[in-house]
Amino acid sequence: MKDNNSKVNSRREFIKKMTAASLAASATSIPLASFLSSCSSEVQKSAATADSVILLWMAGGMAHTETFDPKAYAPFKKGLETNRVLSTFPKHPTVVDGLEFSEGLQSIGNVMDKGAIIRSYKAADLGHILHTRHQFHWHTCYEPPQSVQAPHIGAWIAKELGPANPVIPPFISMGQRFTMGEAEELKAFHTAGFLGSEYGPFLIPDPSEGLDSVRPPQGMSLKRFEARYKLYKELANKSEVMEQASDYQRESLMRSMEQSFRLLNSPEAKVFDLSQEPKEKYDTYNTSRFGLGCLLAKRLVENGGRFISVSTEYEPFLGWDTHANGHTRAKQMKALIDRPVAQLIKDLDESGHLDRTLVILASEFSRDAIMEGRPGEEVKDQASRQPDKIEHIRHYGMHRHFTDGGSILMWGGGVKKGLVYGKTADERPCVSIENKVVIDQVHQSIYHALGIDSQTHYEIEGRPFYTTPDGKGQPILDLFGKEIKSSKENVA
Amino acid sequence: MENTNWILQFLGRLHPLLVHFPIGLLFIGFILELLTLKGNRKGLRDGISFMVYIGAGFAVFSALFGWFLKIQEDYTGILVDNHQYTGIATAILALITALVLKSSLKKSPINLKAYRIVFFMTVILLTIAGHLGANLTHGEDYLSSILPGNKDNYTSKESGALLAELKSLDTLSELQKDKLNLEVRGLFAHRCYQCHSENKQKGELILVTKAGVFKGGKSGLAVVAGKPEESEIYKRISLPANHKDVMPTKGKLLTSDEIALVKLWIEEGAHWSDQAVKIFPEAELALVKPELPEVLDEFHPIDKIVSTYFNSKNVPWQSVVDDRKFIKRAYMDVVGLLPEPEVIDAFVADNNPNKREGLIDDLLNDSDNYTQHWLSFWNDLLRNDYSGTGFITKGRSQITGWLYEALKHNKSYDQMVSELLNPDKEAEGFIKGIQWRGVVNSSQRTEMQAAQNIGQSLMGVNVKCASCHNSFVSNLTLEQAYGFASIFAEEPLELNRCDKPIGKIAKVNFLYPELGSVEGATLKERLFKLSKIMIDKKNGRLYRTITNRIWERLIGRGIIEPVDEMDNEPWNAELLDWLAADFIDSGTDLKHLIKRIITSKAYQLPTVNYKSSEHLKQDYVFEGPVLRRLSAEQFSDAISQTIAPVYVAVEFNPNEEKMQALRIWHHEKDLTNTVLPLPGKRYFRKEFKLLKDDIKQASVLISVDDAYKLFINGKPVGEGNNWADVGKFDITKLLTKGNNVIAIEGNNLGKIDNPASILFAMKVDFKDGKTFKVFSDNTWVSTKKTPQSNWVNLNFDDSKWMEVRDYGTNNWSKLLEFTFNEPKETFARASLVKQHPFLKALGRPNREIVATTREEQATLLQALELTNGAFFNGILEEGAKQWFGTYGNDSNAMVDALYQKLLGRHPSSDEQKILIEALGNEPSSEQVQDVIWSVLMSPEFQFIN
Repeated sequence: MKDNNSKVNSRREFIKKMTAASLAASATSIPLASFLSSCSSEVQKSAATADSVILLWMAGGMAHTETFDPKAYAPFKKGLETNRVLSTFPKHPTVVDGLEFSEGLQSIGNVMDKGAIIRSYKAADLGHILHTRHQFHWHTCYEPPQSVQAPHIGAWIAKELGPANPVIPPFISMGQRFTMGEAEELKAFHTAGFLGSEYGPFLIPDPSEGLDSVRPPQGMSLKRFEARYKLYKELANKSEVMEQASDYQRESLMRSMEQSFRLLNSPEAKVFDLSQEPKEKYDTYNTSRFGLGCLLAKRLVENGGRFISVSTEYEPFLGWDTHANGHTRAKQMKALIDRPVAQLIKDLDESGHLDRTLVILASEFSRDAIMEGRPGEEVKDQASRQPDKIEHIRHYGMHRHFTDGGSILMWGGGVKKGLVYGKTADERPCVSIENKVVIDQVHQSIYHALGIDSQTHYEIEGRPFYTTPDGKGQPILDLFGKEIKSSKENVA
Repeated sequence: MENTNWILQFLGRLHPLLVHFPIGLLFIGFILELLTLKGNRKGLRDGISFMVYIGAGFAVFSALFGWFLKIQEDYTGILVDNHQYTGIATAILALITALVLKSSLKKSPINLKAYRIVFFMTVILLTIAGHLGANLTHGEDYLSSILPGNKDNYTSKESGALLAELKSLDTLSELQKDKLNLEVRGLFAHRCYQCHSENKQKGELILVTKAGVFKGGKSGLAVVAGKPEESEIYKRISLPANHKDVMPTKGKLLTSDEIALVKLWIEEGAHWSDQAVKIFPEAELALVKPELPEVLDEFHPIDKIVSTYFNSKNVPWQSVVDDRKFIKRAYMDVVGLLPEPEVIDAFVADNNPNKREGLIDDLLNDSDNYTQHWLSFWNDLLRNDYSGTGFITKGRSQITGWLYEALKHNKSYDQMVSELLNPDKEAEGFIKGIQWRGVVNSSQRTEMQAAQNIGQSLMGVNVKCASCHNSFVSNLTLEQAYGFASIFAEEPLELNRCDKPIGKIAKVNFLYPELGSVEGATLKERLFKLSKIMIDKKNGRLYRTITNRIWERLIGRGIIEPVDEMDNEPWNAELLDWLAADFIDSGTDLKHLIKRIITSKAYQLPTVNYKSSEHLKQDYVFEGPVLRRLSAEQFSDAISQTIAPVYVAVEFNPNEEKMQALRIWHHEKDLTNTVLPLPGKRYFRKEFKLLKDDIKQASVLISVDDAYKLFINGKPVGEGNNWADVGKFDITKLLTKGNNVIAIEGNNLGKIDNPASILFAMKVDFKDGKTFKVFSDNTWVSTKKTPQSNWVNLNFDDSKWMEVRDYGTNNWSKLLEFTFNEPKETFARASLVKQHPFLKALGRPNREIVATTREEQATLLQALELTNGAFFNGILEEGAKQWFGTYGNDSNAMVDALYQKLLGRHPSSDEQKILIEALGNEPSSEQVQDVIWSVLMSPEFQFIN
């Protein structure tokens, strides 16, 4: 299918640009005004430790025991009891003393001295365990449905901080298409909601085609593009309708056209052009669309990207959504992420951008071979015919949704280097047993790093709507701070 | 010590008096100083000097006395500190100003530059200090609270009036006591609930309920009946400002009238009324048709009312717009399409004085187009869409079929409402809501969604807030919201406050119990009762709400705004009530209402420039309609009409021909899972048998995503590479009696896996009138491996091929051209199309929640979509080819036709010149495209004027 949707999608909400630049200018205008406003609120803003965020999204439910929190390895053999399977891969040491990752993640393990790992994430208890509902919750911090449209965390950040570079959209979402199963549910949280479409995601389903959305239409030369705009302006200026138009109508129409013209004409567009990278680098990243997304994220951050998410595409029963063939698929997925993620961290570190860029790798929930949901919860089992004794390799793996434990990786943006935060049990159920972390804390930690006040909210239909429900979430301050010398002390 | 204390205290209290001297002196001095700039008005110099010296002196004393006040009277807080620092700094700067002035005046030549700079700084600082001081005395929102948008609906005028009425009486009647109590509780609601309600129990005090008020809080009894001096409430509200215990801590303090009222209430025994407090203004439910004013020179009822209104506002009548403007408005508003140039010319030439009314009648009678335009309005309002969350698990259903029929046959509004509330299968989607799987927040259970949506869409009242806790924006309570929602529940619901059960079961009720009972043993019975009381003519609110919405649609601004908050004040209540009553009199005929408005002069006035969008919200005065942007649907349809079809496939086809053709493709798997098809060629076969050979005619329809080659019995029939272009072929000569075979080579283009499918239908008409059909379905077989070249022939063994897979219709809407008959439409009306990124960018909402207004302002996103969007660009390219084909080098004719079709007029000579120049002598298709684009982007096309 020649997907018109994705084309149009990919240009969605290429925002703010000059709007934000002009806003920034007006905000710095009169000192008197800012002084007066400070007397009506006593908001304490934390000093930002990050300017940009890259979210590496492991869509579909990444099993912590198969990736960043390995447990006892039970090799495949016919007749193996499912109950004995905690990890289907052996462990490997990482560059951090005492920190071990599952096999196939050695490259990421090698950059863990530049970041931290949370090993005690608990997904929300939303009853029936469903990907898109948990993804909605993860990205908006609100459980669906809501009576007003909840904004994606990227939209909040776009709204509060605007673009770092006026010609790079402040909220870019890569890797996910909206043509497959549960597409509508995915769309429901890929939105700025009540904040207004201006802050919504700029969608780039295929990072190798990102450039198309920021240059004149295909087949139109720059000269023709400019001539066309000139013709439009000449006609518009002669129009008597403009006299009837209220100022806001006239202005918004003319301004938006002008902005779009300038944007499509701007030299920054080449940031989106992956062919500008040396071939060697391109190949290192090119494991998949996700890998190329990491490469584009790197280029964007280096040129003033604000919030960028790169997703392994969510499609029911594919990607990390391993309801069968768990071991085989986990292996594929690890091969897909290991090299590009590690390279992204290395490259950002080398270019000096890692200090001010918070990189997060996360998933909506984890998986387990036996347990659906969490201990004590009765929820519908969604594994496809998982036998008690494994006779075939396709039954070997983490086929059930598990919400009581999970790993989140973080790098840069003021995060402590080499930190291991929280812990899960070594025996089934491998639940979080120390420093449990919920999504509100994750969001507030991100906002904290960016210097966005935890009480940020807007009034919508008469109700205050906060970044995290009721403004109650708190950042995990322990994640931030100076480098820790020996990680041993943190590894219990 | 005692002695000095009272002196300091006394001097301190002089501070508020004293501060006005430096403010006045320095300010006026500064203004006079400005007048002397550039050497003007030298005579002012002496006066200014004295003002500066005296002002500086007073500033010093003010600061000193202020400090006394602070240390003597226990003022604390950031605000006080800031005031202190800025005050002291002001005094010092004022002193410096005086000194610099003095020394400058002594020098020769006199140089005032330094002095003026210091003076300027002093005045700035003085302003800040003064502002902070005013905040201390009057409360921080003293100024800002009266700004537009910050107005509290509550005024203390009632307190004063009531106080005056009751103060002098010796004993109060029960009625008066009730009134007093309700007034006091109203006061609590506005001034105290923010911190002292169930939601936020500061100091463990709740002032919402009787129990809470008399229980008191951490600091003791809030109210001791008969004894104000022992009542914590009275004590706290009567403390001086900035005493650390004074209440309220947020917002301004209570006025003396308000304090006296609370005192009176406590003195009178703190009586508690059983009535509920109506804190927020609420519109009258009943509707009485107002008498029309006697206005002899206006004939239309709306114009009689508007005329009186204009008189009161000193607004003159403008003359109505000319025929060209009118016909465009009427077309856009009634059927959502552009009038054809010939139609416009004929209309303009028509001498019939009633031609405008005639036109409106004709348009309203064009039922399908009327329906396909207004469908979008109703879809937004009733949260109905072809796609969205919930459908995947059948947690949601459409009402499109029902809605289309209702509009097409102009079902009366009360009948529509009745059928929405007490629905059969076809219309149940509205109250059914959207069900996500799993456990949802109790304020979002589907029964509550029904309550919220009915409240918002039909009654213009916000139930959303009250579904979680007692509302802060209306009088609705949690109990009312749950009572309302319980109508739709199999069993009465348990109340949840902020998603926590509070151990109380809701009592079934309707928001407006005065309309009648909705209790019933069964759900069906309750729905029946609800549907009856809702459409009762006593429920004026239902009719006002829809009347206001239609007015807003046609005029660009409601009689009440926002249109979902019908408790707000109308700009003319008489007009709204008369229109709503007239609507009822017509048998709630929606077309009647539309016609009523469009035939008025008020509608036909020229559009009014309202400067900023704020002017449309606050202090609005009606002077005429507002310029409106084309909606996403109007824009798309106008381009389909004039340039090239934007859409060719619909989600809902009212004229659909039922066919069993499925969207099939090779079944592609990864491990055990079905996946999206990978790019590449796939081969499909279907054999069938004809029992006769007396074929009259045989034809096929084919649509393949992305490309195909079609063979019948080994013979090539046709090919294509766009699923939206339906291939239609006559194959009468290719079929034979006995076995036949259809072979299709399908090709999925692209770099990565993506949707692909074949849709195929064949119809064979025999001479005896019988027919035989073959559709694409799962009896077809396919393969991924390139087969031998004879695969298209009948004698080929496909027994190893796989059964195809039905890929559903999700990615491909219904092609209007996919019919063996002549298609009724040449393009798909946007209202019938599934939500699409292009429409979304132009403002069509996602109907996950009720959406009753669309963004009026143009956004960058839209501009980008229109400037370099591949989708839109493709349509323009296609259209330009057609225009180029029609007009070739005749640029003059092309430009004229373009203006007539798009703008309904001929181009001016200026415009003609510009465009001809752009086209050049021998225009290319590209130049034509750019000219079309420029006219489409012009404000005249984008706005309904």
